[in-house]
Amino acid sequence: MHSRLIALLLGVAAVCTVAGFSSPAQSNGAGASVPDDVRQIDLEGLKKLLHRDPKDTRPLLVNFWATWCDPCRDEFPDLVKVDEDYRGKGLNFVAVSLDEVTDIKSAVPKFLKEMKATMRVVLLNVNDPEPAIKLIDATWDGQLPATFLYDKEGKVVFRHFGRIKPDELRAAIDKEVMSAK
Amino acid sequence: MKKYGLPIFLASLVVIGFAAVAGSGRNSNDLPAPPAIGTMIDDFKLPDVDGKEHSLNSLKGKSGTVLIFIATKCPVSNAYNERMEKLAQEYRAKGINVIGINSNVTEPAAEVKSHAAEKHLTFTILKDDGNKIADRLGATRTPEVYALDASGKLVYHGRIDNSQNPANISSNDLREALDSLLAGKPIQKTTGAAFGCTIKRA
Repeated sequence: MHSRLIALLLGVAAVCTVAGFSSPAQSNGAGASVPDDVRQIDLEGLKKLLHRDPKDTRPLLVNFWATWCDPCRDEFPDLVKVDEDYRGKGLNFVAVSLDEVTDIKSAVPKFLKEMKATMRVVLLNVNDPEPAIKLIDATWDGQLPATFLYDKEGKVVFRHFGRIKPDELRAAIDKEVMSAK
Repeated sequence: MKKYGLPIFLASLVVIGFAAVAGSGRNSNDLPAPPAIGTMIDDFKLPDVDGKEHSLNSLKGKSGTVLIFIATKCPVSNAYNERMEKLAQEYRAKGINVIGINSNVTEPAAEVKSHAAEKHLTFTILKDDGNKIADRLGATRTPEVYALDASGKLVYHGRIDNSQNPANISSNDLREALDSLLAGKPIQKTTGAAFGCTIKRA
């Protein structure tokens, strides 16, 4: 009986791991731990991250932040809570760090550990930020933090620049999570 | 009343049109959209870090003016201190004046003054209490540039260049815009986006 249970759990873990690698927009899944290995992505990686699988009806929340940005740090506990509360309800969440790539193994994971952050985190490493900014939203000039919520078709349904207002963000997520069901 | 009906109706349409453009804005935070390239920037008055009031007209260069929204605590703005000072000195000699504007509610004039002294910023820095000018120009981040021609028309809006790290500069947007302006040539790239700190509004 025990061996069957262990085999089942291992199977589930394997499926979760494969899903995590093959579908970059997925969150870490229920019970995720603090990410200690932040992956860097380029412009192509950002495009992949935003690409919506037609079979995936879950809304996607993307937050752009940096450890050097005070309002980003201030709002992070609210975002960690949003991730905790909505991951199980069907929200994909990726936090995109704009820190220097030299901070990828130091300041970034240190901050995430402090925050007990469990959402997926990547670091955008591009020489010219303009194509990335305009890919995300033609109306965005690059001010941080910036938070975007995409519906299942990849359309921006909520955007906020500066520190988020948790109630507004949660209301927008509620609407999308409900309509995705 | 009847004879004014059509003009009033047309005026209303214009007002509604402007409101719709402003409302479509750039974001969900209800900030005004920045003026379009080619818009004449109206004169304004702001105090410098010593409290002395200046008008934009009194600070304008004979060939053009560069307004840069800056900050004392923003690491991105601080990464540009040396470049901004160099730019100010170089282009002052060519008739273009650089003016800094600090609109952050979190950074009082005294702090802006000591920061400028510490970082050797010699260009005039204005303190925009209540972020009135940031609102008028739709400025959202630091550093953010508005370059005006000799007549006060906006000719470039956005970043200084593409990288906080001077070693990685591959697109010197502001300098190219100013050089074109001085040469009387059309500016090829009139806007530029970069990551920066949000202006902390009152």
